[in-house]
Amino acid sequence: MITHLRLELLKLVRSKGFYLSFAALSAFVMLMLWGFYSYAQKKTSGLANEQFKYTYESKTYFNGLTFTLYSLMFAFSLVIPIFVAMTAGGQIACERRAGTLRMICIRPVSRASIVVAKFLVVAIHTYLLLAFFIGLNLLVGLLFVGWGNLELYPGPLNLVDAPGRILRDEALWRFCYASFSGTWALLVVAAIAMLLSVIFRNPVTAVAATIAIYLMLYIVGRIEFFVDLRPFFFTTDMDFWRDVLKPEVPWPDLYHYVATCGAYIFGLMLTAVIIFERKDITT
Amino acid sequence: MLGTLFALSLVCAFVVKPASKYELKRESNSDVRSENANRLRLLTWNIGNGDLESETRAHTEDLPAVAKVILDNDADAVALQELTGNGQLKLLLQYLENRYSGYVCSSADGDRVEAVLVKKNSEREHADRLEAGATFSDVPAGDRFAAAATFRVQKDSPEVVLVSAHADAFSASRRRQFATDATNWVRSHTKSELTFIAGDFNFEVSTRNKNNLFTDHAKHDSESYAYLLKYFRDLGLDAGETSINDRRIDYVFGPMANVSLRRAEVLRSVAIGRMDHWPLLVEVAF
Repeated sequence: MITHLRLELLKLVRSKGFYLSFAALSAFVMLMLWGFYSYAQKKTSGLANEQFKYTYESKTYFNGLTFTLYSLMFAFSLVIPIFVAMTAGGQIACERRAGTLRMICIRPVSRASIVVAKFLVVAIHTYLLLAFFIGLNLLVGLLFVGWGNLELYPGPLNLVDAPGRILRDEALWRFCYASFSGTWALLVVAAIAMLLSVIFRNPVTAVAATIAIYLMLYIVGRIEFFVDLRPFFFTTDMDFWRDVLKPEVPWPDLYHYVATCGAYIFGLMLTAVIIFERKDITT
Repeated sequence: MLGTLFALSLVCAFVVKPASKYELKRESNSDVRSENANRLRLLTWNIGNGDLESETRAHTEDLPAVAKVILDNDADAVALQELTGNGQLKLLLQYLENRYSGYVCSSADGDRVEAVLVKKNSEREHADRLEAGATFSDVPAGDRFAAAATFRVQKDSPEVVLVSAHADAFSASRRRQFATDATNWVRSHTKSELTFIAGDFNFEVSTRNKNNLFTDHAKHDSESYAYLLKYFRDLGLDAGETSINDRRIDYVFGPMANVSLRRAEVLRSVAIGRMDHWPLLVEVAF
């Protein structure tokens, strides 16, 4: 299992997609920096209405931590899941398409351990993506936007019901927690992609289907027509990762959604293993 | 192993239930006060009708039912929104058996007005109130007005100011101007420590509203709400939604100190006709 994991890790770091994901996220951070910086300038400089010169009457609202929070919230919903789906969706289907799956399966390792090792590699990649993204945002925020406390207000980001504040050092820890909670939430997407990668022969189909499912439920979950269906979407449960960024972390909620996402992850992976073990590999 | 982990996660998900938001907060804010403390019961209600109605302002035929809700809940003061004018106020005061005095603000360029009512409990208290001099005035806020009442619950009790407000339903920018002006008016024109701003602010700041990622619209509402919370406490925070589509857009903002919250409840059982808001009842001790 360890050897297999090591081999899969080698495959990952040698793939172009691995570096592409980090490059794309870096580009996203730059885009966010431009947007955030110009917005903050416009809203807080002489161009702004004198009466509302400072956002939330705070000179330090727009700082590196707020920048990181906004950047992470946007990227988590719309950008990072795409790269997770790309990595996970290609794991089995790519091997099949390249004709190497048959060779892997004739090695003296169980098919279950092949799937699990590949999934662990996806999990590592997901964590690296999130940790890199958070770290880069904090660094860029510190250098270009400035430092301060994390001020949270109801409304934008829909994170809190009442104004709150997390002190700088505590906020840094919260971002650290977010890298773990975010990874766990994203593993649901990864598990779906792994399952589809086992089912489909074409990796593009597996990745596209995963992204389609994710985006469909993500968008539908935000339309009031489907408010009664919302609790049954995995995208709703995935939202728990943001709870660690609230001034008071709602731990019971967090544990519940961690367990729910765990059920999705292990349930989907179990299904993937069962299908893979029964699959006739002819290529 | 995967099967075990799956079963374990499933069990944990069912065993560890997420806390009900309103239940948790209600426990934490149920201040216990001595029965001797002064009690003030405020009610705010947008008695206008849903957008699908041909007349979205208050319907005159609904006023007897509105009066019944006010009387049944024994409100000391009431903030009403979306009346058609002084005529409806007079009719409402009649339905209230002249146990309340009231005032509607100027309509500016709009077609609807806000009203504020103050209870005249008994003959003795009525006399006290007259002696104390309950006064009403317009509050200029943005491009419209709010209605303010200054009164005492009892002769010896401190002065209370209640502003009945209705912020623009369509423009967050106008709502922001309105909220800022109303807050500033209260701060500069009243010396009372018991100041309340109640009404329909139309703020979209709920955490359940996840449709936007970041818009100026959301930021305006956020800043308006934050500005009010800088000087006031959102007394109905844990009472839940006040309007159809699960929206909490009616608020009672009260003093940060000097009062303790006894009750904050949205009276959902008293929906009348095709109104799209429920009354929000707040009781404080001071």
